[in-house]
Order: sequence, then C-alpha cells, then structure tokens
Amino acid sequence: MVSFRRLAAKLCFAALVLFIVLFAVFPFLQMLSMSLKHQWDWGNPSLVPRQINLEAYKELLNIDQMAKNVPESVKILLEESDLTRQQREAILEKYRDSSDIFPFVRYFRNSLLLAVSAALLSVFLAVFGAYSFSRLRYRGQAVVQRGVLFVYMIGGILLLIPLYRMAAAMGLLATPAGTFGALLIIYLVQTLPVSLYMLGNFFRTIPYSIEEAALIEGVSRFGVIWRIILPLAASAIATVFIYAFMIAWNEYLFASVFLKSYQGLYTLPIGLRTLFVSKNAIWDRIMAGSMLTALPVIILFMAIQKKLTGGLSEGGVKG
Amino acid sequence: MRLDLQQKDAVLGWGLILPALLIILSLILYPILSNILSSFYKVSLTGRNTFIGMENYRDIAADPAFWKAVLITFVYVIFSTAGTTLAGLGVALVMNRKFFLRGLVRSLILLPYVAPVFSVVYAWKFFFDPVNGIFMDIMVERLGIFSERFNLIGSPGAALWVAIVFSIWKNFPFTYLMILARLQAVDKTLYEAAEVDGASHWQRFRFITLPEIYFVMGSIVLLRVIWNFNKFEDIYLLTDSVKVLSVYTYFKAFVGTVDLGQGSALVILQFLLLVVFILYYVKKVLRW
Repeated sequence: MVSFRRLAAKLCFAALVLFIVLFAVFPFLQMLSMSLKHQWDWGNPSLVPRQINLEAYKELLNIDQMAKNVPESVKILLEESDLTRQQREAILEKYRDSSDIFPFVRYFRNSLLLAVSAALLSVFLAVFGAYSFSRLRYRGQAVVQRGVLFVYMIGGILLLIPLYRMAAAMGLLATPAGTFGALLIIYLVQTLPVSLYMLGNFFRTIPYSIEEAALIEGVSRFGVIWRIILPLAASAIATVFIYAFMIAWNEYLFASVFLKSYQGLYTLPIGLRTLFVSKNAIWDRIMAGSMLTALPVIILFMAIQKKLTGGLSEGGVKG
Repeated sequence: MRLDLQQKDAVLGWGLILPALLIILSLILYPILSNILSSFYKVSLTGRNTFIGMENYRDIAADPAFWKAVLITFVYVIFSTAGTTLAGLGVALVMNRKFFLRGLVRSLILLPYVAPVFSVVYAWKFFFDPVNGIFMDIMVERLGIFSERFNLIGSPGAALWVAIVFSIWKNFPFTYLMILARLQAVDKTLYEAAEVDGASHWQRFRFITLPEIYFVMGSIVLLRVIWNFNKFEDIYLLTDSVKVLSVYTYFKAFVGTVDLGQGSALVILQFLLLVVFILYYVKKVLRW
C-alpha cells in the first residue's frame, strides 16, 4: 500500500515535470512544425507535417529563387527562342526583382551589424566604468554606483519621445547613415547600464590582493586592467557581451519609430512585423523567419548557459 | 605638484567612468528632464513649440481612453506579476528535487526567456489564429466549448488575458532561477529538525521555506512590476488591441496625428504612477 502511494506520487511528479517542459517548449515546436508545412497542411492540428516543405526557408535565404516568379509561358519562350545570354538574363531580371521578395538576409545583416557594434562598444566602455566604481575609492563613487542601478529601472517608452525629438533636432533623421548612427547610440545607452552593473558585480569577486601585488611590483593601473582583470574576467565579459547583444537584437520600439521611412535599414523585428501585416497566407515564411532569428540567440545562449545563469542570479538582468 | 595615491585613484576613477557617465547623462537623464519640460508645450517637430501650461495634462485627464488604459495596465501588471511569481515558485520547488534528466529539463525551460520576443510572438499568434490555430481547433472541434471559430486575440477583453499568459510564459524562467538559487542556500538541517518534530510538508513549506525566500520573492516582484509596467513589445507585437499605457502612449505620440507634447505628458504620468507604487512597496513589503 505504501509503495503504491509512493509510485502514484512519483507518477504525479513526472507528469508535473512533463507539463512544465511542454508549457515552455510547445510554442517552439509549433514554430518549427509550421515552418515546414505546406499551405494545404496548415489546418492540420498535428505538429508533424504530412510532407516536409523547405520552400519557406529557401525563399528567406534566397536559395534557388532565380526562376521562381517567371511564368511558365515565358520560360518556354526563353528556351525555344534563340536569344543571346544577355537578353535572356535581362528578361529574367524583370521577374526576379519583384517587391514580393522579403529581404530577410538584408534585415538580418542590419540587425547583426547594429547589435554587434552596440554590444562591443557597450562592453568596452563598461569594462573601464565598472572597474572604476567597483575597484577605486573616491568621492562620488557610491553615487555613481547607485545611479547606474537607478537608470537600469527606466523603460524604453519613457525615453522614446525625447530621444526622437533630439535626433530630429540634430538633423540625424534626414539621412540613412545618421538614422542608423542614432539608433546605434541608443542601443549603446540601453545596454550600458546593464553591462556596467553586471561587470561591476563580477569585478568585486576578484580578490584585491592579486591587484595589490601587481601594483607593488610597479605595474600601472592600466597594466593591471589589461594584464590581470581582463584575462580573469574574460568569461564574464563574454557573458555581458551576449546579454548586450540580445537586448539590441530584440529591440523593436525605437527601431520602429526611427527607421519608419528607411525600409532598406529595417532590422529583423520590424521586418518580420512588416511581413506579417502586409501579406496574407504567410505563416510558413513568418515561422521560418522566427526560427532563423531565434536560433542564433538560442545557440549563443546554450554555449554559455552555465555562466549566464550565474550572471542572472547575481545581476538580475532586465527582461 | 605630486598627487598621493588616493588623489591618483580619484583622478583615474573619474577618468575611467567619464565616457560611460557622459553617455548616460546626455541620453537618459537629459531626455527625461527635457521631457518634463516639453509636457507643458504644444510640440511641433518642424515649427516652434508653444507653451500651453497644464493643457496636455487636462486633455489627458478628460480622455476616458486614458483611464481605461490605466485600468488595463493595472490588471495586466497585477495578474502577470502574480502569475509569473507563482509559476516561478512552483517550478523552482519542482527543480529543487533531484530527478532523471534534470539538467536537460532545466535548460529547456529557459528557452522562453532567452528566445527573442519578436519571433516567438508569432507562434503564439498562430496558436490562437481563428482559421488554422490549434486553440480554436480544440475549443470548437474537439471540446465544443465555443460554437464557432473566432479571433480571440482580436477582441480586447480576451486578448488582455492572452497577453498575461504570454507574459507569464516568457518570464517565469527568470523568476524560477532566482528563487531556485535562494532555495539551494537554505540550511538543510532546518528541514531535518522540523521532520523530527513531526511537521507536515505544508508546515515545512509555510514556516521554513517561505520565510527564507520572502525577500528574494519581494525583490523579484518589485522588478517584475517595474518591467511589466513599462512593457511594450511583448504586448504590442502580440496584439494591438490591448491598450496598456505604453501602447496607448505609442499610438498617441506616433500613430495617426502625431502629438509629442501630449505623449510627453503621458510618459510623465506613467513614470509618476510607477514611482508612487515603488515607494509604497519598498516601505511596506521590503520594510526598508
């Protein structure tokens, strides 16, 4: 009787764990499944596609898209008539460059460029800043440290209007390069407090005696940062970089307002949103796009999972 | 003049923090101050701004849509925070026990928190899609709870609850990690002593676990409230029919007739509401 009750309790527990896992990963399974389904299969509630269809991925990544929009009759015409190579390509070109194609690769590149440069700059500035308020004692040090924490609480929506007005007043929004630059600086400032805070917390865990020894040996402060702190903090710095990268990679609000009139500069979040609202019957491409945008982040995360969860519980990162 | 070591440290300290500080001051502090100022103006991007005193605020207070947005924001913040915290606590208690494949389970359940909002949101949209979505398939075809398929996230009332569930799904991993970290630091001998004294499972949870994690929970709730109060993407991308304050302000300021002055005033009000809450909470719950 007792063992029966224990078995029942065990089963309940297993069911609970299963439920938690399903709750967490179901939307991802849904995403993967839909991205691989043919349109006639969409109404099928099963997660397993009746037939695998890679067309959505091919379209987004621009593989084999050359002759896709060319009508059959034109194709036959092209093959039968004796046009020169150039003439043939000129005709194909007309069909290829339709506005129908979703420039996923370009949006991906824009997002990557913005997120990587913002995160790099943020980490670079934060290494010195965090070293300053976590390692050096001076008047105002505590104020700086608490100020960083305070800034961390301010949401994007509070800054959107004034930053937009500032950028407009400085004339940055008149050119694509200026707009891109403005957005880059905004992403930098959005990630900087988090980077400062996390790195500051990490630097405090490095024993001061190591530094002291080096200082007595006659190494300069910059030497200490370069030769002792940086190597010791390498993994923490990588973690903070990835965090900053993720914040910039996910940003929608500012991008949607700033990039409104520059379609060529769209980042992935606005690109996907535009795709979603502009066309009917796009589930396969939307889901393929979602998979392709989630994957880099998930892979990055899995690579550094142990450290990241450590950083999470120490820093408490915005989200 | 020679500086002693302390002065040298001070110069270096300020020198190192200065670039970061300047950026933060000019792009966070200054904008907030200028925002306060412009909330008293009729703002135009091209021409001159005219001072209109409290008119922006009066317009807002007279707009029933604003009060509705405040109400919706409160419902959203309260239920998403409560749900996230309870789910996080439950999952933390489960993950605190040893079981087969625990490592894998732990990394799998972090996925919602890690994946970008702007991509996972479409999986949720599809789930509730009236034509192809599974939710309607289950509710209409299988269980017959509704007589016909309809667009659940298109109706503001139902969409609010979908947004709350989405928020819980997205954020419970963070809460769970924080609580788990604290749970693992609880002294095991406390439980052993309680067991000897014949305390039940519930009593052990109520009188040992809960007091131990009280302050962690308190801080997590505070952070969650602040973040969810300012939330924009998670709601707007899922459905634009849930007009919480952030979304309401976004529409007022940037969609249709652009009104940056009133937008500024809205943002100030939102910030004040949050500050009042934080002060109250910190005093009562965290007992500072």
